[in-house]
Amino acid sequence: MIAQTQIQTELLEFLRAGIFSEQVAVAEDTDLVANGFDSLSLVALLQFIEKKYGLWLPESEINEATLKNIRTVAAVIVRLLHERPPAP
Amino acid sequence: MNLTELLDRSADRWPQKPALIEGGNTVSYDGLVQQVADISLLLQTLEVPPGCRVGLCLPNSINYVAVTFALWKINAGVVPMPTEYTEAELSSVAETLRLGAMISHKPRAGSQPLLGNLFFTRLTPAAPPDNHGLNIAFIRFTSGTTNASKGVVLTHETIRDRVAASNQSLGITAADTVMWCLPMSHHFLVTIVLYLGVGATIVLARHVLARPFLEAVSQSKGTVLYAAPFHYALLARDNSDAKISSVRLAVSTTCALPPDVAEDFFKRFGVPLTQALGLIELGLPCVNVDDPAGRWDSVGRPQPDYQIRIRNPDRDGCGEVVISGPGFFDAYDSPWTPREKLMPDGWFVTGDLGRLDEKGFLFLVGRKTAVINLAGRKIFPDEIEAVMNRHPAVRESRVHGEAHPHLGEVVAAEVVLHHAVAPEVLRDFCRARLGPDKVPASIHFVNAIAKTAVTGKIRRPAAVAA
Repeated sequence: MIAQTQIQTELLEFLRAGIFSEQVAVAEDTDLVANGFDSLSLVALLQFIEKKYGLWLPESEINEATLKNIRTVAAVIVRLLHERPPAP
Repeated sequence: MNLTELLDRSADRWPQKPALIEGGNTVSYDGLVQQVADISLLLQTLEVPPGCRVGLCLPNSINYVAVTFALWKINAGVVPMPTEYTEAELSSVAETLRLGAMISHKPRAGSQPLLGNLFFTRLTPAAPPDNHGLNIAFIRFTSGTTNASKGVVLTHETIRDRVAASNQSLGITAADTVMWCLPMSHHFLVTIVLYLGVGATIVLARHVLARPFLEAVSQSKGTVLYAAPFHYALLARDNSDAKISSVRLAVSTTCALPPDVAEDFFKRFGVPLTQALGLIELGLPCVNVDDPAGRWDSVGRPQPDYQIRIRNPDRDGCGEVVISGPGFFDAYDSPWTPREKLMPDGWFVTGDLGRLDEKGFLFLVGRKTAVINLAGRKIFPDEIEAVMNRHPAVRESRVHGEAHPHLGEVVAAEVVLHHAVAPEVLRDFCRARLGPDKVPASIHFVNAIAKTAVTGKIRRPAAVAA
C-alpha cells in the first residue's frame, strides 16, 4: 500500500507544477483555500487523484476538512484506498 | 443603445439596494454606477478608443463587473479571458481577435496599475480590428471547433434583446438574490447582465464547497442558484441539516444533469433542479421552469420568443435541434462571417441532438459538436490538438470529450506517434502550454485517426451527453 508521505510528495509536485503560481510557496501544510485554491483547481486536483490513484473522491469527502492542506488530502486518499475492497 | 443604460436604470430605481456582495464587501447599485464611471474615466485618460477590443482576465469579483460596464461605457468591446489561460493562450487570443489592450488582476510585461489590483496593458495588434460598423459589446473567443472562425460577436442591442427574452421564463426580479459560483469569464450575459438589469442582488460565492456555500445561501437568503451539475453534486452530499428554504429556482446548466445528482439534490433539499439550454450564439432559449420535478431530464420548453424544431428526425423523433429567436449572435470574427450568411433561413443549427415530447419539452440526447464541457467550462479540442501536435514525438492527435460521471466530460486524446513517448511526458508538455483543465485526462496511442472523406479533416465522434 502506498505511503501517505509519498502521496503528499506527489500532490505537492502536482500542485506546484499545475495549480499554484510561483508566488505561492506551497508546502504540505499550506492552507490551500486561503491561497487561491478555487473551483478550477478543485476539478484539476480531483482528476489528478483519479488518474494517479484510481480513486474518485466522493462528494461527501470534498469539504473544508479534506481540502485544508496537502496532508489532509493525502490522509483521505490513504483512508479510502484502505477501505476499498481488494480487486477481484 | 449601450448596456450601461440597463445598470443606470436599476440604479435610478434602487440606488441603495445591494447589487453585488463579495465576502464582506457590498456595493449598492449607486455605488456600482459610480465605480463604473470612475474606471471609465481612467480608461479614457489612457486613450482607449471606441471600438477597441479589450481582453479581461480577472477572477469573479465586483471589479470584474465594474470593469466590464466601464469598457462598455467607453464603447470598447469586452473579450473575456479565463484566468486559467496560460501566457501562450492569452497571446493567441490577443493576436487572433486583435486586442488593443488587456486588463488583468496580475501585473504583466509592460502593464501599468489601473486601480487597486487592476493592471492595464496596451497591446499593438498587427492591424486594427474591423468591427464592420457594429456596436460591438462582447466577443467570446472560441477556438473554432464548429467552424473556422474564432470569435462570437455580440452587439449591445443583441445582448439587450437576448437578456429580455431570457428572463421571460426565469422571471428574475429585484426581489431575487442570486447565489453565483460559475466563472464570469465563461458566463456573464444572460446571467450577470440580466440580474443587474432587473435590480437583483448577486452574491459571489467565495468557494464551491458545500458548507460555506450553504451558509452563504442562508445568510443572504438566496432565492436563485445558477450552477453546474458538479456544484450541485457537492451540495447534494452535504450531511449537515442546513436548509435552502429561501431558494425558489435552482438552474443547472453547462452539461447534462446526471440522474443521481438530480435525485439526491431533490431528496436533500426538496428543491428540484431546473435544467437549461444556454449557447453563446443564442442566449438562453430553454429553461425548464414548467416541470423540473417531473421532467428533470428535460431542458424545458422554449421560452416564449423562441421556436425549436427537430430537423431530420429518426423514427423516435430524435434529430438535430434548430432554434430561432431574438438576440442571436451578430457575426463570427476572424474570418468575419455575418449571421445572415450562416443562418439565411433564420434557424440556428445547435449541433445538439434531441427530441420534443408531446407537451413541447426538449430532451437532449447527445451532441454533434465537439466542445468539451468540463464542470462548467467549455474546452475546444482543436486548441489542445494544436499543442500536442507540436511535440516532436507526435505525428497527429485527436482530442474529444469523454463522459465522466462527476464532471460531465473530461479531455481525452488519441495520438499517433512518430516515436515512443510516455503519456506523462505529453501531459507535462500540455501542462506547460495549456490551462490545467485542458491537459488530457487520458491519452491513447493509436495507429491511425479517422478522417472525413471529403475534407481530410479529423472526424470527431458524436459525444453522448453523460
